[in-house]
Amino acid sequence: MSDKMEDAGVGTKACAEEFWRWKEYRHHDESIDWRDAQIVSAGIDIGSVSSQAVILVDSKLFAFSNQRTGFDSPESANKAINWAMEGTGMTLDDIHYTVGTGYGRVNVPFAQKAITEIACHARGGNLMYGPTVRTILDMGGQDCKAIRCDQRGKVEAFLMNDKCAAGTGRGMEVFADLLSVPIQDVGELSLSVEQEPDPVSSTCVVFAKSEASALLREGWPKNKVLAAYCAAMAHRVVTLLERIEVEKDFAITGGIGKNAGVVKRIEMELGLTALQTRYDSQIAGALGAALFANALEGKRRKS
Amino acid sequence: MAQQAALDPKTFETFRNWRVNRTKYAKEWQERTGGKIIGYFCTYVPEELLYAANILPVRVLGTHEVQDVTEPHIFAMFCPFCRDCLAQGLKGRFDYLDGLVIAQSCLHIRQAFTSWQKHIPLDYSYYLPMPHHVQSPHATPFLTKELETFRQSLETWLGRKIDDDKIDEAIDVYNRNRELLWKVYELRKQVSPPLTGEEAMEMVISSQMVDKRDHNAALETLLGQLAKRDSDRSAGTRLMILGSEDDDIEFLRMVESCDATFVVDDHCTGTRYFWNNVERNGNALSSIAERYVKRVPCPTKDWPKRSRVDHVLALAKEYDVLGAIIMQQKFCDPHELDNPAITKALNAAGIKTLFLEFDVTVPIGQFKVRVEAFLEMLAEDDLF
Repeated sequence: MSDKMEDAGVGTKACAEEFWRWKEYRHHDESIDWRDAQIVSAGIDIGSVSSQAVILVDSKLFAFSNQRTGFDSPESANKAINWAMEGTGMTLDDIHYTVGTGYGRVNVPFAQKAITEIACHARGGNLMYGPTVRTILDMGGQDCKAIRCDQRGKVEAFLMNDKCAAGTGRGMEVFADLLSVPIQDVGELSLSVEQEPDPVSSTCVVFAKSEASALLREGWPKNKVLAAYCAAMAHRVVTLLERIEVEKDFAITGGIGKNAGVVKRIEMELGLTALQTRYDSQIAGALGAALFANALEGKRRKS
Repeated sequence: MAQQAALDPKTFETFRNWRVNRTKYAKEWQERTGGKIIGYFCTYVPEELLYAANILPVRVLGTHEVQDVTEPHIFAMFCPFCRDCLAQGLKGRFDYLDGLVIAQSCLHIRQAFTSWQKHIPLDYSYYLPMPHHVQSPHATPFLTKELETFRQSLETWLGRKIDDDKIDEAIDVYNRNRELLWKVYELRKQVSPPLTGEEAMEMVISSQMVDKRDHNAALETLLGQLAKRDSDRSAGTRLMILGSEDDDIEFLRMVESCDATFVVDDHCTGTRYFWNNVERNGNALSSIAERYVKRVPCPTKDWPKRSRVDHVLALAKEYDVLGAIIMQQKFCDPHELDNPAITKALNAAGIKTLFLEFDVTVPIGQFKVRVEAFLEMLAEDDLF
């Protein structure tokens, strides 16, 4: 009896570890005194999986937060901005203009305007990667967008995945859980294979998972299974990129941008190196929204 | 934005009611006139000939409901529109039809027709071999002969002759309808069009299911109302929509709620249906044949020269559109062939395009992000 309970306890503990759960975090720049600022602007990106708040002080990055989206979009927006402001002495009243973006963009209670994540990723990517970036691949939680933009970060064309969420962050979370590999280690582990395996069939996260289970039963090590999945995901998004025709320079935003296992394989297929940035690739949408908010506040004051 | 406030929603009520209550209208028409009702697939069916025989031609369209009755009959990779149409037949929603006619256009819709013929009792059905090669000089004489055969077939079924002067009258009624629709479309060129794209769609689709004499009377009234209609509604971004069969009212409504207006279309549920009149050449059937051969083509028939590309470009310019939404029914091969050429031509003319693939139901939420991003892309640079 006690053995059984112990077993049950171990099982519960293993489940509770939740390998998919990436770390939530916040940051603010203590060298900036926002009280001297002309314009304090904010961008809130309520995505399907994660939510970010970015605060700019005179268009310089001052603070941001990144956490999981709850079922209640207005509440997620409040939590995101409050966490970004934490310890800065700033309150909502100090922010002059806020733009909401992401699938919950119309549910940001304190925003003056909603702009699509497609426009915001192009604008944010322009700051993060510099004005030479022409093609941005945003790999989000449940969708994937290929965006072409000009030197100002204005969208010129875009394509989105449809009907299927293969090639998105949520799929990677499912694999992290299946293999009991912490999500942040997936990329590097997948690159530790001696020889690149054939990709799993990439049509569907659920089918890919069944296929991976079969490979594990055949005795494949975890790194090889992850390599097969990362390769499948890379191939999936490259077909989207090929449809929009990639123009240099190229950059990847969104959570998957942090997964070297996918990024390197995309680079290999495209024969292109993605630009690097000192910014967090997951804040691109919120950053773009905050930049738009800054511009809109500037225009409002002039008029 | 409260932009709809300026347009009186009652103006298009007649057309909307006809579309929504099409069965009721058809049954009442039959009681009133004693005529027969024929369902038709594809706008290449020469309705004039049916109308001359006191037959009400009604177009078979889908209802955009998820259904499970067509799987045994139509391959899943045939277009959603042909499956939706067949579903209506299998569900008994066209049980008031006396007959069914198709003119050759694409294989998908023909499969819906043949499956309907096979599984649903019909008093009369007819396959009209509308020629594919409409650019051939032989197309009009060929179709004229086919129309003679079709006329004989109808006469045999009805047990009476179809008079020449009745055909002449039908041509007049149909040409009048086209001219009136065309006049309404002219108003859409205005800076603030007095009607939305959704309303235009209600108007044209309803014309495919009611007696053209009734429709003409309603259009005369409409033109009077539109002249006085308060057009404070800002058009926002002027858009064109083009592609395959499209009666997705919900999609148009969603786009037009985002500060945009469809000012023109190229659909067989829109301009392709009524753009060309029958020009009389001395022989009624040959005149009708010529009209269907020379009309704005469906992509199944637009080769070797792709004449529709120039036509679409001309419409986009005349109606001063900033962007175009190119849609197609999923798996529609003919449009898949045309769309790259049309996209290229529009883009070269400075008209940006958004491509969307439609199914029986469309994911309004997903499409809204794309539409909004497209409109942001077209907007002036107030964000930069």
